[in-house]
This record gives sequence, C-alpha cells and structure tokens, in this order.
Amino acid sequence: MIEFIEITKAFGGNRVLDGVSVSVQKGQILFIIGKSGAGKSVLVKHLVGLLRQDSGQILFEGTDISNYREKDFYEMRKRCAMVFQHSTLFDSMTLAENVALPIRKHRGVSRTEALTLAMDKLRLVHMDHMADRVPGEIGDGLRKRVAIARALTLDPAYVIFDEPTTGLDPVSAIRVDRLIREMSDRTGVTSIVVSHDLRSIFGIADRIVMLYQGKVLLDGPPADFRGSQDPVVRQFVNGLAEGPMEL
Amino acid sequence: MELIRFVIGELRDIARTFGLTLYYVFRGRWHWAPIVEQMFHVGNRSVFFIIVTLGFLGAILNFQTGFQAMRLFGDTSLLGAATLPLLVRQLGPTLCGLMVAIRVGTGIAAEIGSMVVTEQVDALRMCNAQPVDYLIKPRFIACTIMVPVLWVIGTTTAFIAGMYVTYWSFHTIPATYMNFDLLSFRDIVEGSSKAVVFGMVIPVIAGNSGFGARGGSEGVGWATTQAVVNSSLAVIALDFFIGGIAFLFKTGGGP
Repeated sequence: MIEFIEITKAFGGNRVLDGVSVSVQKGQILFIIGKSGAGKSVLVKHLVGLLRQDSGQILFEGTDISNYREKDFYEMRKRCAMVFQHSTLFDSMTLAENVALPIRKHRGVSRTEALTLAMDKLRLVHMDHMADRVPGEIGDGLRKRVAIARALTLDPAYVIFDEPTTGLDPVSAIRVDRLIREMSDRTGVTSIVVSHDLRSIFGIADRIVMLYQGKVLLDGPPADFRGSQDPVVRQFVNGLAEGPMEL
Repeated sequence: MELIRFVIGELRDIARTFGLTLYYVFRGRWHWAPIVEQMFHVGNRSVFFIIVTLGFLGAILNFQTGFQAMRLFGDTSLLGAATLPLLVRQLGPTLCGLMVAIRVGTGIAAEIGSMVVTEQVDALRMCNAQPVDYLIKPRFIACTIMVPVLWVIGTTTAFIAGMYVTYWSFHTIPATYMNFDLLSFRDIVEGSSKAVVFGMVIPVIAGNSGFGARGGSEGVGWATTQAVVNSSLAVIALDFFIGGIAFLFKTGGGP
C-alpha cells in the first residue's frame, strides 16, 4: 500500500499541490484525473523520487520515504516503475536495448543475458518482432508499448503510467488500456494511471481520484463520479466547455 | 541581490556537477564507445571551425604586429619569435576554448536540455543510470582529450598563416620567421594546462545548463544561451587565473 499524506509542492510562487492525501491499495488500477496543470504528474513523481515535496509524508508499504536520498530510491525504482508521457525511449538504442537498459543497470547482468530477458518482455506486449528497430522507425502507439515493456522488465509491484493514451489514435489507445488491464489481472501489479482520457478512465479504472486547485476533489469508484452532483466533477466527466472549472 | 543569489546558485550547481563528474570518472566504469563518439563530435566536427578561426587570427596578429614593428624599428625579422609564445600560451588555448564553448557547449546543452524536457533524463534515473555518469562523463573525457589536440592544430595553423602573411606583406622569408628561440617549456606547459582545464569545464558547465532546462523549446533555448555565456565567461576567467598562477611560478611573485 502507498500513502500520500498532506503533500504540498510549489514551483516558484505557484502552489501545485496543497495538502493532497491519497492512498493506493494493492492490486488496484487507480486513476488520478484532473485538468492539465492540476498536479497529477507532479504527485506521482514524488513516489519515485523524481520530485521532492515541500511538506507532507509518503509511506511506501509502511516505510516513510519522505526524506530518502537519491541513492535510497535505487531499490524503490526496482519495485515501482514508471511509463512516461513521451515514452522516453532512447533514440540511439534499438527497442531491445531500450528494454534491456534497466536490467543491465539494476541487476548488473551481461548484455546478452539482459537482451534475452528484454525479448521476453517485448513478447508480452507483442513487440518482439520489432526488437531490432530503433524508436524513430515506429509510431507513438508502438513506442508506448515498448515503454510499458521496459517498465515491466524488473517485475515491479507498482507501475505508474503518466498519460499513457495521450496523443494516440483510438485503436492504439484501446490497446494500451487493454494491456494495463491484462497486466493487472495477470500479474496483480498495482497501476497508478495519470490521465484525462474519459474513455480510459471509465473503461479500466477500479478507483478514481480527482485533483482540483491543488486538493483532492473526489475519491471513489467510477460509479461515484458518474453520479456526482459536484458541478466541477460533472463538467469534467461530461467534457463540457462551460462550467465552474477554472481555465 | 537577486542577481547575486542567482550567481551563487549557478556556481553551487556547477561545482556539484563537476564533483559528481570527477567521482564517476575515477570511480565508475569507462565505456569507450560513447567516449570515442564524443571525441569525434568534439574533434573532427570542430577542427575546420578552429582552423579557419585561428588561421585568420594568426594572419591578423602578424600583420598588425609587423605593421607596428615596421613603423618603430623597420624590421620584422623577430615577428615569428615574438608572436609564437603569445599564440602558444595565450591566444591559442583561449580562442580554442571559446570556439569549443560555442560549437560544442551549445550542442551539449541543447541535447541534454531536450532530454530533460522530454523526461528522458527522468527515465535514465528510473533505469538506475545516473545522468551525470551517462551524459556528462563521456563528454568530459572527450573534451579533456580533444581540446588540447585542437589547441595544437589551431596554434600551428595560426603560426603558419602568420608566416604567409609576413612573407607577402613584409617579405620576411619563412626561414627567418620560423624562430623558436623565445618559446620556452613554461609557455607550452601554460598553454597545454589551459587547454586541458577548458576541456574539463566546458562540458560540465554546458551540461549543467542543460540539466536546468524547464518547460519546452523555450527552456532548451534558454539553457543553450546560458551554456554559451557561462562557459565563455569561465574560459576568460580561468585564462586570467591560470595565466596569473603561471606568472607567479615564473617570477616567484616578484616583478
């Protein structure tokens, strides 16, 4: 279980998170939603030490990681992987080498052994036939699948997805959603998905947390969001241009 | 006050990046493939730029010095002997450093800055690959080796360009111009020390600017500009300090 307790974070004078408390149950697919700039990505990056909170506490399976140093996060990042918004594959490497990189760096195994393990993960996302290609030769949807394979290389217990379907065509987006659901059902991995894609949110979420003006506006299962009478939630869920939500 | 705080912050970040780079250079494993690739980028791709710049500089230096020498003494026979130490210990390494700061420093800042804004640096951290080890170290080693090589090529080019200008303008024959009597071993040590130090600081300062990129393309542009300004200032300032230290060694602190 992961707990964010009263997290605050400001960039300059802009307070992005203002006392956010969220808990993540094991095995769940938790969606963190909100309009662009609501602090969704900022919140999840605290979990793997890519950002540091100004105040508040983060508990990872009961351990307080709030004051971890960079090298303390090395072990954490084996158990909690992240798929970034831009896929972030390294252009100079083949797809197999991209997936093999965390194996080599975290486990210190040989290149050949790492590539063999990488092929297994690429097979999992149906990308093994393109292992020798470089990222520039494939589309966004396929790159996202490779990024997911890379996140899975160390068999993490938790995976953070930062806007996994943004910029994808509807077919690719559905395939990515299906992959997240399959992964959760097959391996029991806990997924934290940052998104504002309504189709994904109501397609695969077990629980949803909505951030608004630096705070948690609503936390509950998808049914709670569909039935919510809060005007901001209703505007977001129905995708309306007019309403009380700040631009 | 804001400016002083900014400068102190910048210096602290650069010192931290420099310290981490030295740590990984001495403690980490060396992967030669990226180092050789960076040596190609720094050396082969800068050599034409250095030859043209230092060639013109040598020509102008000898023409202007020869012109004054003709007015004062009516003799240019010591022109080569007089300009060579200046090129070796001062103009050669400094101009090379400035050219590398412009040509290579911008490239490093833009590349790393782009990686920062597209979260590739975060992805490296998630893969347990330390960004300084992975991105700065190969460039640091490559620049430390290649800037002295460029200094030798640039200084030689400037001296030879000066020889042609002296011959055409003042009819001083090459055999007279090629006078190494005033060049001392200390001049070579001073010049090469500057080249090595410039090679060490440029990738660190440029890389540090790249790591500071925020937002999108505007942030990368700002980081690139900052890299050129900071590394050029560092070259000029270090040139002064290394020159001062060399002067103290030469004279023992006396006049």
